[in-house]
Formats: sequence, structure tokens, C-alpha cells
Amino acid sequence: MTTIKPPDQLLLELDLAAAEFRCGEMEGRWRHISTAWPHVVIAVSAAPRQNGPSEYVYRFDCNGYREAAPTAQPWNAETDSPLAQKDWPTGKSIVPSVFRPEWKEGRCLYLPCDRMSIQGHDNWRNLHPERLWNPARGIICYLEQIYDLINSNDYTGVISA
Amino acid sequence: MPKLTLFVQIQGAPKVIEVAVNENLTESELHQALVDAGISPGPDQFVFIDESEEPIAKDQKRLVEVKQGTRVHVARCRRIKTTVNYLERTIEQDFAAGARVRSVKKWAMKEFELDKKDAAEHVLQLCKSTERPSSDTPLHALVQANNCVLCFDLVPEIRVEG
Repeated sequence: MTTIKPPDQLLLELDLAAAEFRCGEMEGRWRHISTAWPHVVIAVSAAPRQNGPSEYVYRFDCNGYREAAPTAQPWNAETDSPLAQKDWPTGKSIVPSVFRPEWKEGRCLYLPCDRMSIQGHDNWRNLHPERLWNPARGIICYLEQIYDLINSNDYTGVISA
Repeated sequence: MPKLTLFVQIQGAPKVIEVAVNENLTESELHQALVDAGISPGPDQFVFIDESEEPIAKDQKRLVEVKQGTRVHVARCRRIKTTVNYLERTIEQDFAAGARVRSVKKWAMKEFELDKKDAAEHVLQLCKSTERPSSDTPLHALVQANNCVLCFDLVPEIRVEG
């Protein structure tokens, strides 16, 4: 029996196979680990820090993709469970404003492009237009923001250090 | 059988195109691979390998330095006159078409004598817009109407709050 995939899953698979995503993979910026719809697990490389890993893994909930923004949770790929708060990335100013383990019990990132976090934050549409979800760009829009944050001078490593 | 995948970005085109090539290819072989992929660089276009300062020619012997995943740029601009404004100061420099936003920021931070902390707290924003391109964006992707000019404001990064 043929299983018909839902349109949101097909769109996401299309974007993961697109040159823009593959280019990022080959440049070592991110890599797709697994998909168990509607969850997609992707690792994003981080700048080297004495007390930081080479990459952080995120589990994206892509329900309603691309029209609806995904929401991303820092993830432990080995145990297939949420990343312990002490292992979240942090930094001096900007990075800790986004990676907030206490926000919504650590189920999402505090970013305007995140489906959970944008709720109740209509003011972000004016304050952070460049960080909003862009359906035309798809998952790249979210990944680029994470990548730039954990490769910036603001990023210092993991919280526990 | 082709062994390498190159990612080609054409000035003015939003999508990236994958082109398969053999290892140890010459400049003329790369041009032919582009043509075979439906990309025919015209006489007014330049082909750059990633952030190289100079475009490649069509030499039949000279090898092109590419590896798996290398970006290739097909641009109408050979150089892009780039201006960065910060407070009351303005600096200007020509960059290759494939230079990335990250390289412009690095240069600007040095010219403005800003330290690492300042670098972390500032981003490049396109003048007269709210667009803050990601650090990996090549400059030719931001140029409007083939005018080979770009203007950035170096602005404070705003914490996500509220």
C-alpha cells in the first residue's frame, strides 16, 4: 500500500534536498540527522570554544511547513531527548537572549522565526523584521540565524562551563 | 564520471544550481560544465571561485582550485564598490563579487578599530532597509540592478527581548 505523504512533509523534504541546504551541508555549516515526521533533527556547527562542542543538535517540529514556521528545541541526538540545560549554548549578550532554557521549559528558541516564541510577541514584527520567519526561504531562514549566533564572537560555549 | 559537486550562484538569480564536475578540471572545462548545466556566462559576466579576488579565464591548461562543495559565482560585477557607515564615519573598498558579508564585516571592524566585543554586538544592515544578510551571503547576491555598488550600516545587534 502506498502511503501518501502530507504536503508539509513533502515541502520540507524538497528543501532538505535543495542546493541551498546541501551547500550548507558540504560547507560544514549544518547536517541533517534524521526525520520522524513532523520532527526533523539537524545539527548546526559551532565556532570552536574551549568549553563547547563542535555542533549543537536541534529537533525541529515542522508541522504546517512552510506556511507555518517551525519550532526548534536543542536536542541530545545520542539519547534522543531534550538537551540538558547545562549543555545549552550561551554567550555574553545576544546568544543568551536567544538560548533561554527557562523559556517555555526549553521547548523552543527565543527567536522571532520560531512558531512558539512569536506567539504573543507581535511587537517583534517591528523590532526584529530581519529575524521573522520567511516561508520563501524555508528552513534555511532558521538555520542561518542559529549558525550566525553560535559562530559569533558573542558565543562563549556551554552554560555549565 | 563526475566526482565533485559545485554550487553555482548567478547574480540576479535567487536559486543555487548544482553542477557536477571531474576532479582536476581546467578553466575551460569548468566553463564547459557550466554551459552543459544550462548556464552560459556571457561576455559581460565573470566566473569566480568562491571569494577569489580575480575571475577565472578559459585557459585550457590552467587547473581550477575546487573541492567538493565549492561555490562558483557567475556575476556581472567584477568588483563591488562597498561602503560601510558607522556613527559619523564612512569607509569604502572594492570587493570581489563572491566575497561574503563576513569578510566585509571583518574588514570594517578593523578599519573602525573595533574590538571583538564590539564585533559581537554589531551587524551589517543594508542601507535604507532592515535587511541584515547572513554572514555567508556573497555580495553579488545583494546588488540591485547590476550597479555593482553596495552600502551597509554597521548597527548594534538588538537582544531579543519582551
